[in-house]
Amino acid sequence: MNPTPPIRALIAEDEPILAATLAATLRRVWPDLEIAGTAPNGVAAVQQALDLRPDILFLDIKMPGQTGLEAAQELAERWDGPRPFPQIVFVTAYDDYAVQAFEQAAVDYVMKPVSDARLARTVERIKARLAPAPGQAGGDGLAHLVEQMRALLPTAAAPAERLTVIRAAVGNIIRMIPVQDVAYFQALDKYVNVASSEGDALIRLSLKDLLPQLDADQFRQISRGAIVNMRHVTSASRDDAGKLTLHLRDRVDTLRVSPLFAHLFRQM
Amino acid sequence: MTTLARLFQPAGSCRPRLRRFADDLGLTIIVCAWFAVLITLVNGKTYQLYDQMVYSIAIGVIALAILDGVRLTVLDDPARRRRWLLPFAVLLVATAPFAHFCGIVIGSLILGNPVPDLSSYPSRGDKGMILFALLAQLRLLQAQIEPHMLFNTLANLQGLIAIDPQQASRMLDHLIQYLRATLSATRAETTTLAQEFEAAEAYLGLMAIRMGARLSYRCTLPPDLRGARLPAMLLQPLVENAIIHGLEPKIDGGTVTVEASARAGLLEICVSDTGLGLPETPAPAKGSGVGVTTTRERLQVLYGARAALTLVPAQPHGVLARLTLPLETA
Repeated sequence: MNPTPPIRALIAEDEPILAATLAATLRRVWPDLEIAGTAPNGVAAVQQALDLRPDILFLDIKMPGQTGLEAAQELAERWDGPRPFPQIVFVTAYDDYAVQAFEQAAVDYVMKPVSDARLARTVERIKARLAPAPGQAGGDGLAHLVEQMRALLPTAAAPAERLTVIRAAVGNIIRMIPVQDVAYFQALDKYVNVASSEGDALIRLSLKDLLPQLDADQFRQISRGAIVNMRHVTSASRDDAGKLTLHLRDRVDTLRVSPLFAHLFRQM
Repeated sequence: MTTLARLFQPAGSCRPRLRRFADDLGLTIIVCAWFAVLITLVNGKTYQLYDQMVYSIAIGVIALAILDGVRLTVLDDPARRRRWLLPFAVLLVATAPFAHFCGIVIGSLILGNPVPDLSSYPSRGDKGMILFALLAQLRLLQAQIEPHMLFNTLANLQGLIAIDPQQASRMLDHLIQYLRATLSATRAETTTLAQEFEAAEAYLGLMAIRMGARLSYRCTLPPDLRGARLPAMLLQPLVENAIIHGLEPKIDGGTVTVEASARAGLLEICVSDTGLGLPETPAPAKGSGVGVTTTRERLQVLYGARAALTLVPAQPHGVLARLTLPLETA
């Protein structure tokens, strides 16, 4: 019998005193837990999680670099290898929207200031989830997170003005691209690339601002950085690692689908 | 909390006022006794239970006498109630320290303990109680103070009390000063530059403890400008913007500099940060525009063209907010 390896946690929190306090509280309510590290921002959180492969990830919502929600999304897209996806616990001070969303999605979340009793309840919940259920491989953290994140992601947002034509600058002319001809939109640094059968063009608008202006049935977000026109998708293929790729009409390039959105391309 | 809820219930006009006061009195004594039990459980000094009960009930009865007195006389008439609600809320806040101090004096007289004088109030132990009371009053403060900031600060305090009590005490001092400045500013129309700088330094001191090495700050106020008068809450939003939009979201953090100078009959206050800088598309800058717009509107009303607020990119990065207004010395 091998001794069971210790369960390891990573804390992502930008305020050093709060990070130390959470670590101290965890040591009190869960002495066997190993705290593998502390990340001071949303970017380091993803990197350290990929390096340390913890079992549990405590994510502050409001962090520099990127928010805890964004970090969880990025981690879900970049997680690979045999280790199960970490159990995620969101930590927040006060945020009406987030708290509401968490309650709906039943994500584990704790409010700052964190009390021992409240954290002990979270620990119980994590322990129950980490224990492999009979007949199951155990650690379905990613599938679980996907379910929860889906509830948090902005869905068919408030009906904004619908775009019918995309006006994109190419050199010193403005190209008028009907939205139905757009195959996909892809975020490129400060721009968005508009890919159509006629080639590519750049617009200065973020995907976040673009999404509510598009028909939600036709245009779907498939990762943090891409929105696809479902009518241009010809097929979806899955590779050995389980990664999903989209092939498009009149385009040679393909698009990678984040696990968070893979459900859109499941067979009927 | 039950007493609080009852305060705003529709007046049961059929019952005599004295009877209603007696009901509240009974309830208050029960609640205060429970509080005393709670306090001794929290601080672990159960042998102080009797003393705590005497103090707690004395404080509670004084607070009740003031608040219920006002409620049963002024607020009893439903027509007047709406108009008096805000002054009543202010009274509610003001009553807390008054009742706390008087209650402790009376309690000490009853118990034969040394009576505290005003100069040593609040004591170290009282600060824990103030923290407790602060939490209870959060709802009242929400209008002026961003709850996210307050809860994060309280979470830091909670952690510091265990790790570094001295630092916790310093942080609580900053918080009290910040709250006092922010709350009194909504009533006072003008203030002195020295007071505005104190409030800014309290806020920056608080944030420096929270952000650790990520924040440094420097405030420079020439002595001859300390007494300069200016409208309240002009400087504070600029300092908070520098933190909230400039440095808090920046991974490496940076420095905030607040400087005042006078030239040609004008007072110039500069708040600069080395943060993320102005958003490239100025159109939907969420939040950041609100404080700036309000400040500009106030300046326009008060001084017309003689005052201005400009925001320019700072070098090498960040924002420089420059506030110019006529120099008025009292």
